[in-house]
Amino acid sequence: MPNKRKRKEATAAYLCLIPSIIGLIFITYLPLLSVFALSFFNWGSGAPDPKFIGLDNYVRLFTTDPYFLDSLRVTVVFAVLTVIGSMIYSLFIAMLLNRKIPARGFLRAVFYLPYVLPSMAVYIGWSWLYEANFGLFNYFLSLLGAEKMKFIADGRLVVPSLALIGVWLSGNLIVIFLAGLQNVPRVYHEAALIDGANSFQRFRHVTIPCMTPIIFYNLLMALINNMQIVTPALALTNGGPGNESRFITYLMYQSAFINNHLGYGSSVSTVFFVIIAIFTVILFLTSRNWVFYEGDGK
Amino acid sequence: MRESKTGDRLATLILAALAALVMLPIWWMFRSSLMTNAELFAYPPPLAPSVWRFGNYRATLENFPFWIYFRNTMTIIIPSVVGGTLTATLAGYAFARLRFPGKDILFMLCIGSMLLPTMVTLIPLYIAWSRGLGLTDSYWPLILPFFCGGGAFNIFLIRQFIRTIPRELDEAAMIDGAGPFRILASIIVPSIKSAMIVVALLLFIGLWNDLLQQMIYINSGKNFTIALGLSQFKGSLQSDWSKIMCATCMSFVPGVVFYLVGQRYFVEGIVMTGLKS
Repeated sequence: MPNKRKRKEATAAYLCLIPSIIGLIFITYLPLLSVFALSFFNWGSGAPDPKFIGLDNYVRLFTTDPYFLDSLRVTVVFAVLTVIGSMIYSLFIAMLLNRKIPARGFLRAVFYLPYVLPSMAVYIGWSWLYEANFGLFNYFLSLLGAEKMKFIADGRLVVPSLALIGVWLSGNLIVIFLAGLQNVPRVYHEAALIDGANSFQRFRHVTIPCMTPIIFYNLLMALINNMQIVTPALALTNGGPGNESRFITYLMYQSAFINNHLGYGSSVSTVFFVIIAIFTVILFLTSRNWVFYEGDGK
Repeated sequence: MRESKTGDRLATLILAALAALVMLPIWWMFRSSLMTNAELFAYPPPLAPSVWRFGNYRATLENFPFWIYFRNTMTIIIPSVVGGTLTATLAGYAFARLRFPGKDILFMLCIGSMLLPTMVTLIPLYIAWSRGLGLTDSYWPLILPFFCGGGAFNIFLIRQFIRTIPRELDEAAMIDGAGPFRILASIIVPSIKSAMIVVALLLFIGLWNDLLQQMIYINSGKNFTIALGLSQFKGSLQSDWSKIMCATCMSFVPGVVFYLVGQRYFVEGIVMTGLKS
C-alpha cells in the first residue's frame, strides 16, 4: 500500500514538472551548451552554412574588435554604479518604510511604481527630462547657475545618467528588503533595547546581520540583471555617443542580429557568460565571510 | 518602543520628500503631454500646464495606433502570464510537497538557472525558433517559453509559499482519498492565491520590459507591441516632445492598472516566502 502511494506521488510529481523539465532542457541548458559550441563556427552573412573555425572568433574579439573592450568597460561601470546606487537607495527606503508611519501602503506603492512601467517608455520619458536645452535637469542646473549639460548625448555622462534611471527603477529591491526587514525577529530588537543599545547600534548589530542573506540575494540578482542592460541602447543611444553605451548585450545583438554573424555573436555571449560567472563565484566566495544564516552558530 | 516617536516623524518627512522626488519624472512626463511644444520650450518651464490639453492625446492617436499595439501586447502577455503562473504553480507544488527520485538534482538545476543570464541563450533560441521551426514575425517564440515553468524565481516563490501551509491539511485530505492533484486544486491553490498574483505580476513586468526579444522576433509594423510601436513613433517624430510624451504616458497605463489591482498582495506575498533557505 505505501509503495503504491509512493509511486502515485512520484508520477504526479513528474507530471507537474514536465513543463519545467522541458523548459530547463530546451530553453536553458541546451541553448547554453549550443552558444558555446556555436562560438567556434563562422555562420551568418558570407557563410550561409556553419563552418568550424576554432578559436578565430575569440581571437578577433580580443585583438581586432573595435568595440569589445569599450563595451566591457561601460557595462561593468554601469553595473557597478547602478548596483551600488540602487542597493543603498532601496535599503534606505525599505528601512524608513518599515517604521510606524502614516500612509505606508501608499508610500510603498509610490516607490515601487517606476518598476512596473514599461522600460521602453521609461527611457523615452527620461530622455525628455535629460534633453540638452529644455529638459528638466537642465532647468535645475540653470537654477544652480551651472552650465547646461547634454547628459545621454555626452560620452562622459551617458553611463551615470542611465545609472540614475536604473536606481529610480529599483523598486523591486525595496519590496524584497522590506520583506526581509519584516522577518527580522522582534525579540532580537527587544533584547538589544533592554541591553541599552541605541538605534544605530541596533541597526549595525541586529538588523544588518539578520539581513545579510537578503542583501546577498539582492546584490547577486541586481548584478546579474544590470550586467544585461540593453534597453537604453536599443531605445535611445544606439550604443553612442562613441562607444560609451555600447553595452555587451547590445554588442551581441548587433553582431548576431544586425550584422547577422551568429557565430561571432555567440562568442560575445560566451565571454559574457564567463564574466558573469566569475562575478557570481567571487560573490559566493566572499559571502562566507559576511552572510549569516540563522542557526549557523556564528 | 517609546523612544522612536520622533524617529518615525522624521522618517515620514524624509519619505514624503523622496516620494515627491520619485514621482517628479512621471509628473513631468504627464504635464508635458498636456502642453504645446511652444509651452514646453518656454523658460522657466511651468510646473503644471496652464490649460490641460487632453486633445493632445486624440491628435497623438492619429499617428500612434495605441489600441492595435495594446491588443498585440495583450495577445502576447495574457497567454504568457497564464501559462507561466500555471506551470510555476505545478512545479512549485511538486518541489514543496511531493516525494520523488531525482528531486534534489532537479531543484538544483532549476535554482541554478536563476544565475544564468537570459541574454546568453538568445542566439541559439533564435536559431531554433526561426530556422528550426520557421517561426519568424511570430508571437510564439515569445509566448511558448512561458508554458515551460515560468522562471526559476517564480517556481521558488510558489514552493516557499506552499511550505508555509500546514501539512496536516494535505494529510487529512489524503486520508479522505484525495490524490495529489485533488489536493493541489482544492487545498493548495486556494491558499496560495496571493503568491500566484505576485507571480503573475512579476511575469507581466518581465514581459513588458523585454524589448530585445520583441525586436528580434517581431518584424512587421502591424504586429508591433506597445514598446516597439513607441520606439518607432519616437524615431519618426524626433522632437515633437508633446506628442512623444502623450504616447509615453499612454504606455504607462496598462502596467499601472495591473499593479494597482495586484499590489495589496505584493509585499505580503514576498514576505511569506521568507526568501531565505
